[in-house]
Amino acid sequence: MTASRLGVAVAIVAVVAVLATVPLFSSDVIVQFGINALLLAVLAQGWNIIGGYTGYASFGNSVFYGLGSYGVAIAMVQWNLPFAVGMIFGAGLAVAFAFLLGVPVLRLKGHYFAIATLGLAQVMSAIVSNIGIAGQNIGLVLPPLNNDHLFYELSLGLLVIATLTVFWLTRSRFGFGLIAIRENEEGAAVMGVNTTLYKVLAFALSGVFTALAGGIHAYWITFLDPDSAFDISLNVKMIIMAVFGGPGTVLGPVLGAFVLSAVSEILSSKVTNLAGLFFGAVVVAAVVLMPRGVADVMRQFRTAGWRYFVENLRAHRI
Amino acid sequence: MDLLAQVLINGVLLGGLYAVMALGLALVWGVLNIVNLAHGAFIMLGAYLAWHLYTYLGIDPFLGLPLTAIIMFCVGYALQRGLLNLVVRAPMFNTLLITFGLEVVLTYLAQLAFSADFRTINPPYAGNGIALGPLVVPLARLMAFGVAAVLTVGVWIFLLRTRLGRAIRATAQNLVAARLYGVEPRHLYAVTFGIGIGLAGAAGSLYGTVSQINPYIGATLTAKCFAISIIGGLDNPLGVLVGGLVLGLIESLTVLYVGATFGDVASFGILVLVLIVRPSGLLGKTA
Repeated sequence: MTASRLGVAVAIVAVVAVLATVPLFSSDVIVQFGINALLLAVLAQGWNIIGGYTGYASFGNSVFYGLGSYGVAIAMVQWNLPFAVGMIFGAGLAVAFAFLLGVPVLRLKGHYFAIATLGLAQVMSAIVSNIGIAGQNIGLVLPPLNNDHLFYELSLGLLVIATLTVFWLTRSRFGFGLIAIRENEEGAAVMGVNTTLYKVLAFALSGVFTALAGGIHAYWITFLDPDSAFDISLNVKMIIMAVFGGPGTVLGPVLGAFVLSAVSEILSSKVTNLAGLFFGAVVVAAVVLMPRGVADVMRQFRTAGWRYFVENLRAHRI
Repeated sequence: MDLLAQVLINGVLLGGLYAVMALGLALVWGVLNIVNLAHGAFIMLGAYLAWHLYTYLGIDPFLGLPLTAIIMFCVGYALQRGLLNLVVRAPMFNTLLITFGLEVVLTYLAQLAFSADFRTINPPYAGNGIALGPLVVPLARLMAFGVAAVLTVGVWIFLLRTRLGRAIRATAQNLVAARLYGVEPRHLYAVTFGIGIGLAGAAGSLYGTVSQINPYIGATLTAKCFAISIIGGLDNPLGVLVGGLVLGLIESLTVLYVGATFGDVASFGILVLVLIVRPSGLLGKTA
């Protein structure tokens, strides 16, 4: 058991090392695809903390993303501060938001939580487009930094930290508390878990990673406006990637983000106007045939074979 | 004062249309426990169907409405029977995702089939209005409001009085017990989803007469339908009517007094507030 775990750890370190050297010998296109895929993986991993482990389907993570983007943009453009300070400012905004609005919103359950957070994202976008310091609905232009290698390594570093954090969740008291809340919130409260505190902390933790990814993306793209910063479809993307890969697993969301980024990249270069159609169809098929994600398929397929898909079909139909 | 009265009239008329848009979403959500993220896309399809009936066959959108609704009912029935029944007992994430996938597919199909151009259904009476002193009641919007009110009350009576309606409500309350009393859930779920999509199709034909349509209107409409269902609660179609009127009035008043960009802040702000204060809707039973 420990030997196999050691093997997995060594393999992961090797993969990260290979990924880190990719920019040295790849074309600009690959590096740019890599930055996008890595940032999406961070977003999926961030969503995994609140959605996968705590069981609260947040549609408000795009708020964190927007706050992170605007944190960096406002700090750099309006106050002439360095990028790192902007990142801290953006993460701070996300934590403040998680604490202020998390307390009332996290009282809601199921669909209601999902929709309340969806509403928050819409409201934030409209509010930001009326704030002078955020450039209103015109947006902000950041000073350009033409260094894709740096952005690539930053994104990779952030993904590693996010994944290690999720790994820590799977073996810490805090993480067990979150899983207990997901499985049975009343039960968790009876067992002495401070559910409100744990949920808000998970929301904030999820928010910090999402905000940092937003900050890197803003500085890389050098432009942002309220519609793209608080884009709901980005939030839907994180959920799809996390659920496609396997929510509530350490590596599932990362895997889901990589696979789906690659699929949509290949599709949009081969069959441009059908790409969206295929993407939708892949999502539909995945939900029907592998509702617990790629991570679960990889675990079960060896023993169950093709029957695995048939079993999934049987499990949820009426 | 006249301006305020005019805005109130517009808000109420808009609210009636909103109500019929949200009716199908609330029904499917309440009975099947599926939040149909593709609902707005079905409204869009209904609008295109009505547009084609009017442009190529000359069928008036109000007269063609039953036809649109019946075609969309069949689409909805087939979709639930063939696909959604496979995942109806899966966790909430999965049903949300599959309907999102459907939304993407429908939007792209619409874009391929109908192009991204804006369309409007323009019957000859579209610009007419009824003058009430200094106020004007736009005729097309008034007719849309009337149809919406009839549909809402019709669905209410259907759920309350008919055998099928009772079976639907029984299934929503307790699937196992309903099954023991002879309800065939596969068929009943498909009928319910079909009615939801049929209502979306009817709402689409009305929407096409008062607003522009393009393949991308679906997502925004779904979000509005959400807000209305939450404000009104899922128990009762009349609650949805109230929710639609509330949203229509709030949007119109906010646009008048605060500014056009705040229309969405108001509607979604109210949504969040209602959720926090009364999680089962303004008119819903307290849980």
